[in-house]
This record gives sequence, C-alpha cells and structure tokens, in this order.
Amino acid sequence: MTQTAPVPPPEPLIDADSAGFWEATREGHIALCRCTGCGTWLARPMEHCNRCGALTTFAQIAGTGMIYSYIVVHHASVPAFAHLVPYVIALVEFDEGPRLPGILLGESGPGVAIGQRVRAELTTFQGADERAVTYRRV
Amino acid sequence: MREAAVAGIGRTAFSKCSGRTPLAMAAEAARAALDDAGLRPADVDGIIDFSTGDSASGPDVARALGAVDLGLAMDLQGGGNLAVTVVGQAFASVQAGTCDVVVVFRSLNGRSGNRYGRGDRPAMPLRGEMQFAAVNGYVIPPMWIAMFAQRHKHVYGTTDEDFGQIAINTRGHAAANPHAMQRKVIDMDDYLSSRWICEPFRLYDCCLETDGAVALVVTTLDRARHLRHDPVRVAGFGEAHTHGGSWTNFPDLSEMYSAYAARRLWGSTGLRPRDMDVACMYDCFTGTVMATVEDFGFCPKGETGAFFGEGRATYGGDVVINPHGGLLSEGYLHGLNHHYEAVLQLRGDAGDRQVPGARHALVTAGAGPAGGALIYEADR
Repeated sequence: MTQTAPVPPPEPLIDADSAGFWEATREGHIALCRCTGCGTWLARPMEHCNRCGALTTFAQIAGTGMIYSYIVVHHASVPAFAHLVPYVIALVEFDEGPRLPGILLGESGPGVAIGQRVRAELTTFQGADERAVTYRRV
Repeated sequence: MREAAVAGIGRTAFSKCSGRTPLAMAAEAARAALDDAGLRPADVDGIIDFSTGDSASGPDVARALGAVDLGLAMDLQGGGNLAVTVVGQAFASVQAGTCDVVVVFRSLNGRSGNRYGRGDRPAMPLRGEMQFAAVNGYVIPPMWIAMFAQRHKHVYGTTDEDFGQIAINTRGHAAANPHAMQRKVIDMDDYLSSRWICEPFRLYDCCLETDGAVALVVTTLDRARHLRHDPVRVAGFGEAHTHGGSWTNFPDLSEMYSAYAARRLWGSTGLRPRDMDVACMYDCFTGTVMATVEDFGFCPKGETGAFFGEGRATYGGDVVINPHGGLLSEGYLHGLNHHYEAVLQLRGDAGDRQVPGARHALVTAGAGPAGGALIYEADR
C-alpha cells in the first residue's frame, strides 16, 4: 500500500546489529532478532544474546500479535503522516514476545481496543526507502 | 565526607520567544544563582548541564561567567530523565572534594528554536529501537507517553477526568505564580473540550514549550551556612534507568521508571511519602504524574485521579504537588525549574504560594523507562 505525502517519514539509522531486520523487510518478510543458543526472542537487535551470550540471528515471525496499547494521533506533528490524521499507532506484542509500534491501517480510533488480535503487514510510505511494519485488525 | 547543599538558584524569564541564545540565557541564570548565593563567578570550579536539542556547553557558559579553569565539566545528553542526575552529580563532586562550587543549568529555546514535541526534527538519533518507530513516525514524547497513559486506563479504569484533575490542580497553582507562562484557571469543562493531541492526551495534558534557563549553585554545607540563604540539603536519592531506555518494550506501561527508582529512593532515607510537604512531580504530561505519584507511594496504583480530585494534592491536603504550576503551566525547563521551586519553598520564600512550614520536598525527573527522584530538606 502506498500513500501520497509531501515529506518522507523519518529515516531509521540502520547498523550492523539491525541490518538483518531490514534485509528481511526488503524481501517482504518480518524477522526479529533471536538467540541461536537459548532461542530467546530479543526486543532489540543485538549481536549476542543478553541472557546466554550466544550469537543471535534474525528469524521470521508468524506476524500475528495483540494490541498491547494504542494512541490516536489527531495533531499532525509528523509531516509525513499529516494526511492520515486521525490515525492509530498500535504498540503490538507479537506472539513471540517482543513489541513493535506501527500504524493500524484503516483505523481512526472507534472500535479499537487493547487486546485485539492483529496481523502485521509491510507498508511503503511515500518517500520512504524502507518498509514499515504496520498492522491490520483480524 | 563533607556534605553539600544548594546555596543559590537563578533563572531567566520564561517566554515563547527569547530573542537570545541559550548561552546568554544560561549565563544570566548562572549569574543570578551566584548572586543569590552571595558567591562570585571566580568561585566556580565545576559545571554540569543536560540537554536534548539546543543548549550551550558547560565550558562555554563557565567562560561567559568568567570561570576559565574548571575541575569538572559535564554536558549530558538527554531530557528530563537527567534533571535529578545532574544535581546528584553536583552533590557527589562537592562531597568528594573534586569541586567546591558547581553550577548546574538547563537552557534552551524550546519554543522559538528546536521544538522537542514536533516530529519534523526528532530530538534524538533514530537508532536502536527508535529505527522501528521512525518508519511509522512514532518519534515524539507525546506519542510515547500517551501510549503509557492508554495502558494505565486499560489496567486501572482510569478516566479522562482523572487526567483532567491533574491538569486542573496544576493550573490552579500556577495562578498564584507570577513567573508562570499559563496562569488562567481551567475547570473540567475546559479540560474535556480542549483539542486532542494524541488520545488519550488533550492539549491540557501536555506541557508547555519554553525559551529560558534555570541554574542552581551547589557548594559545601559548611560554606552554604555562611552565605545568603538557608541551605537546602539532599536527604534521599534514587534513580532508575531501565530496560535499555526502551519506550516500547518497557515491561508494564501502567507504571514507569518510578516503580524501580522508588526502591532506591525510599531505601536511601528514613523519610516516607507522608513526610513530604511539597512534591515537584515531573509533569511533561499528566500521564507522567499519574504513574509517578502512585509508583512513588503517595497512593495505591490506580488511585492518583482520586488523590487529586479529593484535594489531597493541593494546599490543605496530603502534599502540595507542583505549587509552581509545573511543566504543564509554569514552563518546560526539562525539570530543572522543579528544583528551583523546591528550594524556594524550603527557604520559605515562595510568597503567595508558600506551603506553610515546608521542610521536605520531593523532586522527580523523567518519564517512561528512565528518571529519578531526590528529597530536598531544609537546613534549619
């Protein structure tokens, strides 16, 4: 899905620790950082697991989760998304454990509730080099 | 170990358009704080500040004062989460004998210059976990803290009116503060009809944007006792910088750093919440006050709204919270103005808004995953 907007979204600063996530999104997948030793899913990409110290990798997730919390943006603080106002940003807790924030597509507030199930999908917002993890209620 | 104390406080006017540099404002606030203490710029041998966005460097401010040889200069990168850290470090350096006179400041053109709450120039680099937020524009504090507030509503049944009580109480206090930027009293109708920023936050849930500077002077307690005002000591202290500074993977968004810092704070002193006469609670948003008032033990979780609504957070109640009007109504100096007010109250110099007999003031700093608190105690 693409949206027209006059200004690109803020750019992520990608580094060696997070590159695997963005490589996956460019191929159309969502992959989070996971320990190759103990299997823990890590909330933030890091080279070594902070529980057992083993090396990490990026592993594809199921893409489903639930709304842990959400906000409804009414004030156009971020120019790239001004045309979407009012829009919902959900903080989704994936079934695997970690949380990622993302716009809840097709929603403007009414009917959205904490605990609802969602599925992640990748969106390229106009002007962005990278895809964003966004969500739809299921 | 020698003890330290706050001996001087100073500030500039707070405005929407200073027309001045952060350097000029910081120098004015620091000079005012030194005058207030009865010290001279040549006495200064340490300087500590914090900033995100614009500021002036500590060494540059010291030079502007005429202090060109410092034993300590710390420019810390961060927001309100550091407003207690900088005072703690000033006290530590004086107690250790590294410095005799330390200036602590915060200076910014937060309204006419770099506007922290606007997403067109995010205040911090979008690396680490922020890279995932960047692509969705989840890049400003109103969004992150509204997310916490929404979770609090879900867990505790907190209502919009509960947040409104905090805004109303705070603005009511600002009405008695000539230095406050917003002094017009508001009621629940005003609060509920104010425009949405990001639900559940309305305009009155959000702090101001301010141009200005605040400075404190810390020296030894012995010396402070011979200067112009009664010294103010630190009687309790505790910070918590948790979960990698994560806003999105902080485990329980119905609480904040305060749930962790409370253990350190109350473990450092025999004082308890009931001993506080004043509490300058970091109020970047009403939601921050909502979580931290409970987490620091003034009331059980989920009961902050009732605490405010029943008059327990104002004159005649349990503790006067933000007698100056806080960041919501006095001005947003990233929390250093809370220290200014606390010291003023404990000296007995707060005029029309003086909390009678104030001896202990809690000051908190920060929101979300990181922050801290200290207890000031009057030395008299």
